[in-house]
Amino acid sequence: MADWTAFLYAILGTVLISFFGMGFGLGILGVDRKLAAHMQARIGPPLRQPFIDFRKLLLKENIVPENAIPWLFNAAPVFALASSITILLYLPIGGLPPVLGNYGDIILVMYLLTVPALAMVAGGFASGSPYATVGAQREMITMIAYEFPLATVLIALAWRLSVLGVANPFSLSALTATPVWAMAGPLGAVGAVLLLIVLILVTPGELSRVPFDTPEAETELAGGLIVEYSGRNLAMFYLAQGVKTVAMTSVIVALFFPWGLSGLIPGSPVTGFVADLIFYVIKVLAVVFISVSVIRVVMARFRINQVVTLYWVFIGGLGILGLLLLVLDSLGGV
Amino acid sequence: MAFDLTLLTGSGFWNPFFWLISIVVALILIYIIYAFGEKGYKRGTQQVKPFISGNPEPSKAGVHVRAGNLYWGYMDALKVYYAGLVPIHSGILTDYLLWLFSVAAILFVLVVLL
Repeated sequence: MADWTAFLYAILGTVLISFFGMGFGLGILGVDRKLAAHMQARIGPPLRQPFIDFRKLLLKENIVPENAIPWLFNAAPVFALASSITILLYLPIGGLPPVLGNYGDIILVMYLLTVPALAMVAGGFASGSPYATVGAQREMITMIAYEFPLATVLIALAWRLSVLGVANPFSLSALTATPVWAMAGPLGAVGAVLLLIVLILVTPGELSRVPFDTPEAETELAGGLIVEYSGRNLAMFYLAQGVKTVAMTSVIVALFFPWGLSGLIPGSPVTGFVADLIFYVIKVLAVVFISVSVIRVVMARFRINQVVTLYWVFIGGLGILGLLLLVLDSLGGV
Repeated sequence: MAFDLTLLTGSGFWNPFFWLISIVVALILIYIIYAFGEKGYKRGTQQVKPFISGNPEPSKAGVHVRAGNLYWGYMDALKVYYAGLVPIHSGILTDYLLWLFSVAAILFVLVVLL
């Protein structure tokens, strides 16, 4: 692709993915609330409730506390949302390849996933509130905790590809073109299932959802790092939460369920594209249901020290076991 | 050209230029949406006091989280590990050098064997 064509493609792709990410993100939050409500024998809010909430937040006063550092307090939500959107540019959406797939790999995605959380930490510390400070402190610790199992999964999958001699094993296009299920034997398949479980358990931590919502902890910290946020600033954090949910679940879909329907459906490329997009939406919603809705309905919040123990010892250990099984599988099969 | 700034690590790659372009575009878009929101609030009223569940605001020094406490949850969860690690840090330079050379020797043997 010529330089200027790539440049224009990046700009246009960012605009389109931004609107898709924000709209789909709010939609996912609505589905999650509805599913959680039904599991608790409630009717729940309508699916469009997050859109209503977002609009209402934009109409509310945007209070800046007297102890806050105003520029950092106001910049954090905007940067959190913008950085969440950039993650989506490196991930395949539907049958489309990633907008910036040639300009960043899965390691970059892993680091970009921490940027919205860091923006929230900065906003929390800039709030000048004791609750927000404790929340920001907890967010940092949660981030350190889930990075280890997340890195284990990504390295395990890329290592398996590198053993097979695949070029650029960390690139999303290589990872989606060669799903782990296609190259693993029975032992490797068990390892891949363990890695999938690890990634599913990392998701609520990444998204600060129950049982890993210790940074916000409504009942003890009254919202933690977002306790002082209101109005349009809170609306941006709300939107970032939706976009980040799309990003994290898209990572799981890309790594473990990358298949599309376009090859099975005869007809024009447009029909194939629509079929792939619908299938992608279904896969993302299924992942959200398992990794967010079910887990948050059946579990209560962990304390922050329990979060670290869980991620570093148990979930991290599960990731290492998955990696070992993949290694044993490759030693037997290659 | 700035477009060719893709950094290669041998296994991974990324191009900071395209990330910068995309985040600038995203920031502009979001700022437009952000600008539609209500800007005002009542300055100098109770509204701007920090929310502490109705309790009076303690002194700044009283609620300051010191750097030593910043990673409390992490240190507490791994206290067994730190209980073994901290005493090793004797503060004596020769002890640190001994550790450095010992670990380097083990790594050297492992690398040569593998």
